[in-house]
Amino acid sequence: MEVNQDYGLPCGRELETVWENLDEVDEHQLDCVHCRTARESLLALRAATQELIDEPDPTPPDLVGRIMSAVRAEVRRGQMLDLPAAEPGSVEVSEQAVAVVLRYAADSAGNVRARRVRVRKVGVDSSGAAQVEVELTLTTRLGNTSGADTLARVRELVSAAASSRVGISLVSLDLLVEDVYEDGE
Amino acid sequence: MTAEYVIAAPVIASVAARAAAETAGVVRLEPGLRGLATAWTRAARQRWKGLEPAPADGVRVRAHEDSLTVEVDVVISGADQAAAVGRAVQLAVFREVLAQTGRSVDAVRVSILDIEVGRQ
Repeated sequence: MEVNQDYGLPCGRELETVWENLDEVDEHQLDCVHCRTARESLLALRAATQELIDEPDPTPPDLVGRIMSAVRAEVRRGQMLDLPAAEPGSVEVSEQAVAVVLRYAADSAGNVRARRVRVRKVGVDSSGAAQVEVELTLTTRLGNTSGADTLARVRELVSAAASSRVGISLVSLDLLVEDVYEDGE
Repeated sequence: MTAEYVIAAPVIASVAARAAAETAGVVRLEPGLRGLATAWTRAARQRWKGLEPAPADGVRVRAHEDSLTVEVDVVISGADQAAAVGRAVQLAVFREVLAQTGRSVDAVRVSILDIEVGRQ
């Protein structure tokens, strides 16, 4: 079975590498909590797959889609941010989900396109919500004569999305403009 | 005569799964690899008996001594605030598990694994 190479673990190791070394654990995998979690899940998956192979009934519909969706969820589970919870228990959101919301907000400013979003938790506020630092890499449209206004708009939209769409508070927001694009790209 | 009622974990998980899935803002529950494996095993056992199990994908029930914790993994839409949807899922699970099983849950942990922006 081949696992898509885009599924990197927070420690930097690819999920595919963990899959290939499922029966031969190296030193990093012994110490790394992300690799150990991924390996346990993949072992459970291998056992379940074997059961399906042995099962005389047809395999469930959309089997590959469900497995890959589960793999993506497993990777996302690695880095979670606290959200305020009124009831006993907790509410948390993955950093990747937050990155999607912030990237979408930046794109809606116009004249820029968001590329990478790095979200880093630095604390928790009095409501129990995570406080985060965000680094957003942008590419800007060539010929945009109101660059400063555009960046101010990005800052405004991203900050608003963090609180109104997610429920976290931004401690800092760094915008890095690293490239330009022409209309039509 | 004394009578003791035991509510099995898959029952609580299925009730919690439906309550979470029907909460406004929730797009679907996300089982993860371990949940997928558990669901397949449970489905295979039920099929031997000719039954179709109620889905409980994305929900784990943890019982420790007298304490009962329900963990729910969800994907939500970007139309609502994630924190508000998470709290609504907590409330729905507390309420429905108590109403349908008579068992009170001590804690509900909601993990939002993905947000689908652009979906209303």
